[in-house]
Amino acid sequence: MSRLAFSKPSKLKRVGSILPALFIAAIYMLLPTFGLRGFWLDVLTRVNIFLLITLSLDLYSGTTFYLNLGVPFTVGCAAYSLALLNRYLGVPVEYAILPSAAISLVLSLVIFLPSLRVRGAYFSIMSLLLPIVMAGIVTSQPFSLYLGGEGGITYSPLFFSYARGLPVKERAFFLQSTYFYISSIAAIIAFIVSYKVAYSDFGFMMRSVGQDELLAEASGVNTVRVKLVGFLISSSLASLAGSIYAAMRPPVTVDVFIPANTLVPPLTAVILGGMGTIVGPTIANYFILLVYEALWDVIGRWRVVLYMCLLIVLVLLRPQGIVYYLYTKLKRLVSSKIAELTAGV
Amino acid sequence: MVKLLVCDSVTKKFGGIVALDKVSLEVSKGELLGLIGPNGSGKTTLVNVISGVITPDEGRIVFEGKDITRLKPHRRVALGISRIFQGMRVYPYLPVYYNVSLSARSVYKDARLARAKTTWALTITRLLAEAGELPINLTPYKLRMVELARALVTGPKLVLLDEPFAGLSPSEIDEVIEIVKKLNENGLAFIIVEHKLRYLMKLVNRVVVLNEGKKIFEGKPDEAVSNEEIARVYLGVL
Repeated sequence: MSRLAFSKPSKLKRVGSILPALFIAAIYMLLPTFGLRGFWLDVLTRVNIFLLITLSLDLYSGTTFYLNLGVPFTVGCAAYSLALLNRYLGVPVEYAILPSAAISLVLSLVIFLPSLRVRGAYFSIMSLLLPIVMAGIVTSQPFSLYLGGEGGITYSPLFFSYARGLPVKERAFFLQSTYFYISSIAAIIAFIVSYKVAYSDFGFMMRSVGQDELLAEASGVNTVRVKLVGFLISSSLASLAGSIYAAMRPPVTVDVFIPANTLVPPLTAVILGGMGTIVGPTIANYFILLVYEALWDVIGRWRVVLYMCLLIVLVLLRPQGIVYYLYTKLKRLVSSKIAELTAGV
Repeated sequence: MVKLLVCDSVTKKFGGIVALDKVSLEVSKGELLGLIGPNGSGKTTLVNVISGVITPDEGRIVFEGKDITRLKPHRRVALGISRIFQGMRVYPYLPVYYNVSLSARSVYKDARLARAKTTWALTITRLLAEAGELPINLTPYKLRMVELARALVTGPKLVLLDEPFAGLSPSEIDEVIEIVKKLNENGLAFIIVEHKLRYLMKLVNRVVVLNEGKKIFEGKPDEAVSNEEIARVYLGVL
C-alpha cells in the first residue's frame, strides 16, 4: 500500500530505511576506485543517463497516464541545443549544459499543448510524431547544412581541455571516471527528486488526474496546473539527460531523435518496473540495460529478439510491472527475517 | 432568505437535443432542495452546469452574488460548491485518505489545515478506520461516504448530491439522511437529485421538478405529491 500522510514513520525509522540505499549508492560511486574501467564504466555512465529518461517517463506518464512518447524530442532538442550553442556561439560545453536543457524544456511545451485537448492514444500518437518529424528536419535540406545532416555536429567533449594536459595513459580514465561521477550524481539527484515528487501531495494529485481527470477537476484539483508542473519537472530530467549525454559523447547525430534509441529502453524499464512506482523502473533500468550489454557476448544480435519476447510475455502475465512487485516481496521477506532473528534478543 | 445560488434562464443543447430549456432556479443559504424528474429530464445536466463540468449555451449562474457561468470547476470548489457524481466515482488506485485529502490540499494552502479538515471529514462520514483501504475493498455505502467526505472536506456552502441513495439499503439511506440533516442544521445547503422520492420528500424543504429540460414545478414536497402534472410525468410512480 502507498505511504500515507497520517502514518508518517518516525525520523529515526526514516533515516534507517534510507541507510541501505545510501550504502548501495556509496559502493556504486566507488566502483572506479575498485578498478572498474573501460567498456563497463562507459556502459554504467550511459545507464546512469538513461535513468534520467526512465524517471522522466515514469514521473509523468506513470502517474498521469498521459503516455509521453515524445521524450526523444526533449532529449534530442537538448543535445542539439548544446551542440549549436557550442558551434555557433562558442559556448564551451561545460557552460552549455544548463542553458541547453532550459531551451529544450521550453521547446518541449509543444508536446504538452495537445494534452489540454486530447488524452490516451491520441496524445501518445501526437507526442510520438514530434521526434520523428525532427529526425526528418535534421537530415533534410536546408536544415542539414546547419545541423550537420547524418554526420551530426562534432565538438570537444566535456572537460577535454583539462584532460589534454594529462599524460596520454591517464587521459582516457580521467574522462571516463569524471563522466561516471557526474552521471551518477545526476542519477541520484534525479531519483531523489522523482521519488519526493511522486509520493508528495502533488504527486498524488498527478495520480488523481491519471485515474479520473474529470473527477479531479470537479473535486477542486487544478488539473491543467498539475499536468503542466508535472510535465515541466519530468521534462527537465529528460532535457538534462540529453544535455549531459551530448556533452560527454560528441558528435550529436540524428540518432538522439530516433525512438528506438532513446525511448524503447526507458519505456521498457517503466513497463517492467511498474508504472508510477519510481523504485521499480529505477531497478529495471539498471537490470535491463546492463543485462542487455552482457548478452552481447552470449547471443549477439539475438538479444533484441529475446528482449522483445520477454517484454511481450511479462506484459501479458503482469501488465502492472514485475520489478516493483518483486522488490516489495523481497523487502517484506527481509523485514520478517530480521523480526524473527531479533525476536529472542 | 439570503440567496446563495441563482440559475437564470439556463439553456444547454447537445446537438439538436435541448437538455435544459431556460431553467431558472434559486437556492438559499442552508436550504435543502430536491431536484426530481424522469430520466432524461435534465437533472444531471443542471448539476453539471452548476458545478462547471458543462458550460451553458445561454443564461447565467450566480453564486453569492458573483457570476460564475464561465468559471472552471476547481475554482467553483474553492468558492464553496462541491458535488458527488451519479454512480460511485472515486480514484480506484488511491487509498480512501488520499481520495479525500487531495481535494482539501487543492483548496487549502496550509498542509496542516488540509490534514485536519481531512480527519474531520473522515470522522463525520465514519471512515477513519478505512482510511488506508483501497476503494475496491469497500462496500457501496462506504464508497458513497468517501464521495461525501470528499465533497465536505473543501468546506462547501452548497453540496450537489446526484442520486446519493442509489445502490444503498434502506438502513444505509437512513444513515446518509442523518448525516445530511446534521450538516444542514449547521447551515450547509444541498441540492439533491434523487429517484427514491419516498426518502427525498421527507428530507427536503422544497422541490423543483424538471421534464424534458423544462421546469414544470417548484414548491413544497407535499404540494408536489398532489400535483397532477408531476403524477402524469412519473406515470403513477407517485
